[in-house]
Amino acid sequence: MLSSLAAFEHAAAVAWGAIGERLQGEGSGYARTIRAHQERHAERISALIRELGGEPPEGRPREEYESGFPLMRDQDEALRFAADLEEQLVRAHLDALQTLPEEDQRRAVAEIAAEEAEDLAVVYVLSGEPAAQLPFVTGTQ
Amino acid sequence: MSADPTRRKALALALGGAVALARPASASAQSSDVDQLEQLLGREQRLQSLYEAALERDAIEPGLGATLLEHEREHVRGLEMALRARGRRSPLAGVPPPQVGTAFVSRPAFARFAIDLEAEAVGAYQQVLATIRSSRLLLPLGSIMTSGAQHVVALRQEAGEDLLTPAR
Repeated sequence: MLSSLAAFEHAAAVAWGAIGERLQGEGSGYARTIRAHQERHAERISALIRELGGEPPEGRPREEYESGFPLMRDQDEALRFAADLEEQLVRAHLDALQTLPEEDQRRAVAEIAAEEAEDLAVVYVLSGEPAAQLPFVTGTQ
Repeated sequence: MSADPTRRKALALALGGAVALARPASASAQSSDVDQLEQLLGREQRLQSLYEAALERDAIEPGLGATLLEHEREHVRGLEMALRARGRRSPLAGVPPPQVGTAFVSRPAFARFAIDLEAEAVGAYQQVLATIRSSRLLLPLGSIMTSGAQHVVALRQEAGEDLLTPAR
């Protein structure tokens, strides 16, 4: 499960690089910050994997991920992809909580889930929507 | 991109049902989970009181205040259901409102005050998620934590602050 999360975070960092190329103004700055979040999440989860004696997955070149990205012709399409991506990240981390036995693992993944929810809220704001929309945020709305 | 608001009832039910469906745990484990749920309930009740007071004093934009208050009520309802399912008939009847000091002097001042309380609550959920024994509670409690994280972003916007903190 942790390896899957690390691989997802590597892909998300690359995706945010592509999303940022379609955003303007403050959106471009937030894209850089969120990309840095994803890179840090990948590093943090990789560290947990190493503590367990495992070998975390490496990030791959951008061109290997890009075929899986939707077409982003403008900012609106980029923000729709960003919202889908962040919802999936929130859900993946909440699901992972249920599989992790150790306290430090659960704490790390919970903290990352909260940051993903913040990133999702920023996507909502950039899309002209309220930051906080639901009392229970599962990532499957 | 808007979310389906009907999901809130399903999650609230899951929060109560999660415990009801759980196999009986040892007395100490159950007690510990109950203690943690009561601690979270106290925080949610304080946030509910805070937004009620802020709306009364026009210390928050009314639409945002109403949304956050509604969310806190849902969180309180869900936690009370979870506690009842654990056999706790009378969850905490109420808690003192937070010491607000000068928080109500302006909307940005209130927002900054509320950011701190919401962030503390998110941290409390993270602690509980790391240690709670009932795995069935992880998703519903996690979904409240992520809602709280989004409250922080909404309040930063209200306070005129950057929406995100830089990557640490």
